[in-house]
Amino acid sequence: MLGLHTPPISFEVLFPLSLVAGCIGAMSGMGGGMILIPTLTLLGVDIKQAIAISILSVIATSSGSASAYVRDHITNLKVGMFLEMFTIVGALMGARLTLAASPRPLFITFGVVLMGSWVALLVAGHASWQGDQPQDRFSRWLELEGSYFDRAQQQQIDYHGRRAYWGAPMMYGAGLIAGLLGIGAGAVKVLIHDLVMGLPPKVSTTTSNLIIGVTALAGTSVYLAAGLITPGLAAPVVLGVVVGAFLGTRLLVRLTNQSVRRLFLGVLLVLAVEMIFRGVRGV
Amino acid sequence: MTTSTNAALVAERQRRMDIAVGTLLLVGVLLSLGLIAAGLLWTDERTGRLWLDYPLAGMNLFQFALATARQAWNGQIGPTWMVSAGLIVLMLTPFLRVVASMLYFLAVLKDAKYTAFTLFVLLVLTWSLFLRS
Repeated sequence: MLGLHTPPISFEVLFPLSLVAGCIGAMSGMGGGMILIPTLTLLGVDIKQAIAISILSVIATSSGSASAYVRDHITNLKVGMFLEMFTIVGALMGARLTLAASPRPLFITFGVVLMGSWVALLVAGHASWQGDQPQDRFSRWLELEGSYFDRAQQQQIDYHGRRAYWGAPMMYGAGLIAGLLGIGAGAVKVLIHDLVMGLPPKVSTTTSNLIIGVTALAGTSVYLAAGLITPGLAAPVVLGVVVGAFLGTRLLVRLTNQSVRRLFLGVLLVLAVEMIFRGVRGV
Repeated sequence: MTTSTNAALVAERQRRMDIAVGTLLLVGVLLSLGLIAAGLLWTDERTGRLWLDYPLAGMNLFQFALATARQAWNGQIGPTWMVSAGLIVLMLTPFLRVVASMLYFLAVLKDAKYTAFTLFVLLVLTWSLFLRS
């Protein structure tokens, strides 16, 4: 067990901060951890403990939203189960790496991942779906296919997943990032589903949400055993992030895409620079 | 039975499974949030502040759940017990989702390949939840 001192941060500070992190995370689609972890470290929480608390809250947000998506029959359980084999192993390895690492490389890695997300958000949106494409033999053997009724387009969408041989190892990498940094890494998973495996955007987003919960549990188990989950910090953070994510998804429909993008790009850039700076200076 | 009737039967079972998994996730998250919120409010009522300070001393999930169940058995239910129970329910929610998925592939779809994949996920997760520091 790591001998850590948990700063006594009051509920009145932790809850609203987590709420804002959850809200921005849901509106941007990046998840609350990207904002939560840097903020907790600024309040004096050890970075490893911040990562542990964040990944625990990821279980709550992803399970909450996955519950709605699964009942809408868009999530592909077979795609999810196949890819979970790789993400959970990655998450276990990632969490182990975090326990072994010193804080400075963790600050820098987190900052670099934030910066990467900033660039991705700046240059790209969802790549448009190319339509149903022929499957390779391995993906056909895995039966990575399905159909759903798209309410917006008022039509049945049939699809066949492809290139599972690339998707699987890449999802191991996504799991590694999730376990290492205590984030859902949903954006990375969605990109792999979209661009590599050719899944329709709705299927990739909802299936990614399902995978995130189990991946986060694998990472959480390592941090729990290391004594990094402290209920005093975890309780208000979990409540705040979930309420924030709930509000964020409702706020999103009232705001324009541009204002959300601008807000999130600004916050992400400041946090990325701040984390890298602290890592380099050794704070 | 014709092929189309078979396909319709599987689709209906799949639809029911989706609803069952979705409900399991929703109940798990709501129950856990309810327990955590109740524990915090109880703390506030007892101590006048919304701050809990107790360590988990590097237990794995099953040791944590066992210790919490033992407290309930001994009638030691208080604010910290509520928060601990909420955290345990939260962590068990995705675990139970994987158990439900395995039963679905095994008993409903009778799909050996996906039963094996899900079993692998379940075994790795179970092993990870028994990890010690």
